[in-house]
Amino acid sequence: MVEQSLRPLAAVLVSAVAIALIVASYRHPNVRDSWSVAAAVAKFGIVASMVPGVLGGESYRAPALAFAPIPGSDVTLTLALEADALGVLFALLASLLWIFTSFYAVGYMRGLDEHAQTRFFASFAASLSAAVGIAFAANLVTIFLFYELLSVATYPLVAHDEDGEARAAGRKYLTYTFFGGGVLVLAGTVLVFVLADTTTFGATAQALGNADPTLAKAAFALLAAGFGVKAGLMPLHSWLPDAMVAPTPVSGLLHAVAVVKSGVFGIARLVLEVYSPAVVADLGVGIYLAAVAAFTLLVSSLIALRQDHLKRRLAYSTVSQLSYIVLGLALLGPTAIKGGLLHIPAHAFMKLTLFFCAGFIHVETHTDYISEMDGIGKRMPLTMAAFAVAAAGMAGIPLVAGFVSKWFLLIGAVEVEQTIFALALLVSGVLNIAYFWPIVYGAFFESPGEADSKPLLEGPIGGRFGAAAAGTSGGPAVATDGVGNGADGSDESASTSDDSGSPSTGTYAVDRNPSDHLSPEEQERRRREAAEAAEAEATAEDESHDDTDHHDVVHDDHGHGGTTGDWEAIGWTGKEGSWLMLGPILAVAAGAVVLGVVPYQAVFLHLIEEIVAGVAF
Amino acid sequence: MSDVSLAPVGLIVLPLIAAAVALAAGVARERTGWAIAVATLLAEGGLAAWLANAVYRGRGEILHELGDYGRPEEFAVGIELVADELSAIVVLLIVVVSLGVLAVARSTGPRGNAFFGAFLLLNGGLMGVVLTGDVFNLFVFLEIVGLATYALVASDRRPDAAVAALKYLIVGTTGASLYLLGVGYLFMATGTLNMADLAAALAGNAAFVDGPLYTNTLVVAGFAFIAVGLFVKAAIYPLHAWQPDAYAEAPDAVTAYISALVSTAGAYAFARIAFDVFTPAFFEAVPAAAWAVVTLASVSVVAGSTLAVTQTRIKRVFAYSSVSQFGLVVAAVGIAVHPAASPDAARLAIVGAVVHLIGHGVIKGGLFVAAAGLARTAGARTLDELSGLGREAPFQSGAMAVLALSLVGVPPTVGFLGKFYIALGAVEAGIWPVAAVILLSTVLTLAYAARFLERLYFTPRSAAPSAGADAAAGVAADGGENTAADGGDAGVDAVEQDVADAPGASLGLKLALVGAALLAVVLGFAGVEFADALEPFVTEVVR
Amino acid sequence: MTLIDLLATRYAYVLFALLVGTGLYMVVSSPNLVKKVIGLNLFQTGLFLFFIASAYVEGGSTAVIHGEGGGPYVSPLPQVLVLTAIVVGVALTAVALALIVRIYSEYGTLREDVLREVRADE
Repeated sequence: MVEQSLRPLAAVLVSAVAIALIVASYRHPNVRDSWSVAAAVAKFGIVASMVPGVLGGESYRAPALAFAPIPGSDVTLTLALEADALGVLFALLASLLWIFTSFYAVGYMRGLDEHAQTRFFASFAASLSAAVGIAFAANLVTIFLFYELLSVATYPLVAHDEDGEARAAGRKYLTYTFFGGGVLVLAGTVLVFVLADTTTFGATAQALGNADPTLAKAAFALLAAGFGVKAGLMPLHSWLPDAMVAPTPVSGLLHAVAVVKSGVFGIARLVLEVYSPAVVADLGVGIYLAAVAAFTLLVSSLIALRQDHLKRRLAYSTVSQLSYIVLGLALLGPTAIKGGLLHIPAHAFMKLTLFFCAGFIHVETHTDYISEMDGIGKRMPLTMAAFAVAAAGMAGIPLVAGFVSKWFLLIGAVEVEQTIFALALLVSGVLNIAYFWPIVYGAFFESPGEADSKPLLEGPIGGRFGAAAAGTSGGPAVATDGVGNGADGSDESASTSDDSGSPSTGTYAVDRNPSDHLSPEEQERRRREAAEAAEAEATAEDESHDDTDHHDVVHDDHGHGGTTGDWEAIGWTGKEGSWLMLGPILAVAAGAVVLGVVPYQAVFLHLIEEIVAGVAF
Repeated sequence: MSDVSLAPVGLIVLPLIAAAVALAAGVARERTGWAIAVATLLAEGGLAAWLANAVYRGRGEILHELGDYGRPEEFAVGIELVADELSAIVVLLIVVVSLGVLAVARSTGPRGNAFFGAFLLLNGGLMGVVLTGDVFNLFVFLEIVGLATYALVASDRRPDAAVAALKYLIVGTTGASLYLLGVGYLFMATGTLNMADLAAALAGNAAFVDGPLYTNTLVVAGFAFIAVGLFVKAAIYPLHAWQPDAYAEAPDAVTAYISALVSTAGAYAFARIAFDVFTPAFFEAVPAAAWAVVTLASVSVVAGSTLAVTQTRIKRVFAYSSVSQFGLVVAAVGIAVHPAASPDAARLAIVGAVVHLIGHGVIKGGLFVAAAGLARTAGARTLDELSGLGREAPFQSGAMAVLALSLVGVPPTVGFLGKFYIALGAVEAGIWPVAAVILLSTVLTLAYAARFLERLYFTPRSAAPSAGADAAAGVAADGGENTAADGGDAGVDAVEQDVADAPGASLGLKLALVGAALLAVVLGFAGVEFADALEPFVTEVVR
Repeated sequence: MTLIDLLATRYAYVLFALLVGTGLYMVVSSPNLVKKVIGLNLFQTGLFLFFIASAYVEGGSTAVIHGEGGGPYVSPLPQVLVLTAIVVGVALTAVALALIVRIYSEYGTLREDVLREVRADE
């Protein structure tokens, strides 16, 4: 049953109104920030009020706005909002997490004394408005409109820092999202309309099933690719790691929850309502989408292994986890879809916790690189504990949210007899452990001076043959910041001189010991070049690391041990930093656990069962 | 009350007379030009509203025969003025933009009655282009528009402007002459110059013709010449070369005016002739014509954006952008008449062409006004000099940002609405390459439009090159006191004096700018109004 | 139709083509600005010739009714068109020359290539 109600519209507009209020109170930071929190709470309230009805099978429709009448016919393309179970799932998640993020963002921005905070919070409110608009869109035209507005609203957040790197990241972001949205999604929408005479969700499936298969497949591909840009499907994902230059609340809520999940949400609408799983299966395009998703989840996990910058590692992890959702949707079986949809909130809670921890670490200790986080569990115990819990969930350990969704995905893959995808999921789980465990282990069980080496980070791609570097008790060759590690200094030269066989610098053994057939001058020249190259490698900031950006680490002692000594030991009493940030971290981590222990009672699984019940298989 | 069919006459005659009045008054008293222009335009606004009311709310097409010669044997002898749904909406655009530009010109100059005389002449010419029903009359009015524009481009008496104006004159006159040649061929083939009669004659419906003339060599050649001539006026690649110089060197208020209206008039003329004189039937008989139009237009879309990306001066970026956007409009016209297009597709394309024509006028005029404002506020003439102005000039920068996003095609602005309809038309017609170009134009436009956003908001002010020298150059472009009526000396002194201080944008400019930005967004929601208003016209063309 | 026939009967159109071609060539290739304007005028004159030539009626009389019957009347319309176009052309030439005077007084040259150099130097 459809109920006429203004609530979907109100949910979208409440934060749009907040934009004006935030900008108006730019002189009074406390008032301004409380508008953010108030808008978040109000939005959550409105969405939550629709949950009971939606669980009962109702949906709420706001009055539609006639947008583009088709001349010569009765059809009019409208902008329409309707809150159904799938929409409420996304909106509930986004608005709930926004409440925590508002507090966290306030703490973060104040902790770093950031500039342009009014613009930041106003853009944030705009982004959430657009995200809820995407959630409640009732047809492709509306979802496209909010999709584009989301790109526009999040751009100021990505380019927030206003330096060259931020601008470059912003440009890349705009290019990718406008290409994905403005070109591909629009093309798909137009094509769907031409084939089906409507773009309303749920009303197009039959016409698409009967239309020319080439065109229907083309429309599917266009829409999947368009939404896939924001959903981080390879090879359209590369804007996401670069967008990590944004402040962490942005990376957290937007690029782990709102923006990327809107891409995934778009794919969910595409598979479940524009085409319906039956038509997708008929056209045979589901398998291609599943293959792309599987490829993405494996390859990005591999890339994540090599990232030293924590946020970039989390970004690649996000790319990988988003493809779990897409894979679940693409497998087209009810359990698989359930698993995919459940992973939306599960991943959101876990990834948000992880990002919050990363940001908190940055604010309190100015540490961004994993190789410098050895022993940081002493300095920030609660934070790293939350990190550990969330990381466990990402790997699929029971009792945390990720386990339940993964369980459904695995069963779902077997159910539709595509066991190879189950294998891919299992491999990915192992890789997850591989790139999260070292962080947790290093934080709690190691200390800066005596950490084990991290061959995945330091070593060349393809590995190293022969004896491992002598005296590897030295810290990673990475942190050559000239501060000079006491115990490490002497070992450094030893390790770099052993660092043979790095092709980029040409220090092959054959160069250090040139062949006799060459003239003496030539031999001398080569020997000299090899020595220079080896030296360059030792002194230069690490260029042998492909994906890790080289960092200039400015150390100021914020209780930062790093390479200059051990971390300051703070107890488990919450004194590690501002509670504006610690509180949300713990709350969201607790949410991840709750979702893992009682997913049904925590509303989300109930919503998902409602969604799946209404889908035509 | 008088017959509403006098409204078209009034709309053309009033500004022409007012131009003469302004020039005459200038002999007696300087500085009266602006007041005369405003009074005239307000009167025109009233006439336009009256006309629009009549056209859209009841009578449909309004016809007025000049001289009342009648139609012996169903054959028009005199010149007819026709106001149908397409004309009325362009008339409204002309009036609104004129009033906006007057608000800007009050402070940016140029001043002097001679300038306003030329301005009113241009206004009258534009009205004539839009309201005439005779192809030769169209030529005359196109030349009037051209003449007034050449004079206005050079109106601040800077030598660079004179060179740009001369280039424009030579290319524009060649184009208009080619159009005249095309008209001549049509006249030879059919013996009439009236648009409606031409359409009938070409279709084979007139008594003195037997059978449709569409494949007649004269007619096809005539179309080719007319199309090329009008493409020169609308600045379609590769006939666009006059535009960047003319836009960049003209005084700011003039650039805003001509960018919004002059090429629009050229594109309007092409649309009118393609729809009403040649009609889709011609293109069905000669498909090569339709293919040529859409191909050239698509090339223009891509080439214009590509060239825009390479520019560093703000006005030149927008000038090349116009090349691209008019490519979209002409592509839409081409799709609408294309033989492969079903009636549904044709209708969508026509609505898209009109919406984008109007929308682009508003957006581009607004963008040039923003450029003028930022030049006056901070001496910013190049993209680099825009750095950090988002904070110093928030309203102007905000309006520019909104207009830039509208140009890219972010919903729900009017830039998106037009493009959406055109894309729908292209995909419905199944002309995939053109559809792809139209869809990709979003990213192409983003390439040069996003740089503005980035510069205004995300680049610190310190990154701007020293604005001092450029403020001087920027102010000099305004010219201030220099027009033909005054002596030249006063002008030189004024320029030297203005060098020291950047004047700052006036309230009128800011109001006009914010108004343009708001209009761009509001019109984005006016899809229903556009479609309803254009419906009679659309059904008539796509029969 | 052989060339001789063409030249004998439709010489006006041949001339028209020549004039238009010459005029355009002058506009494009001549470096002197005044000559470009002359070329433009030549081009337009060719067009006028075309209009007039196409309106010629062998044995026709002017479009004034004498009361004696009169043969086929020549349509006055092309003549009117040409008159109008001539006026337009005159106005355009006037504006072009005014601009050229301005350019000359500022840059001291009428040659387009020298002009480009001078302007590039600024």
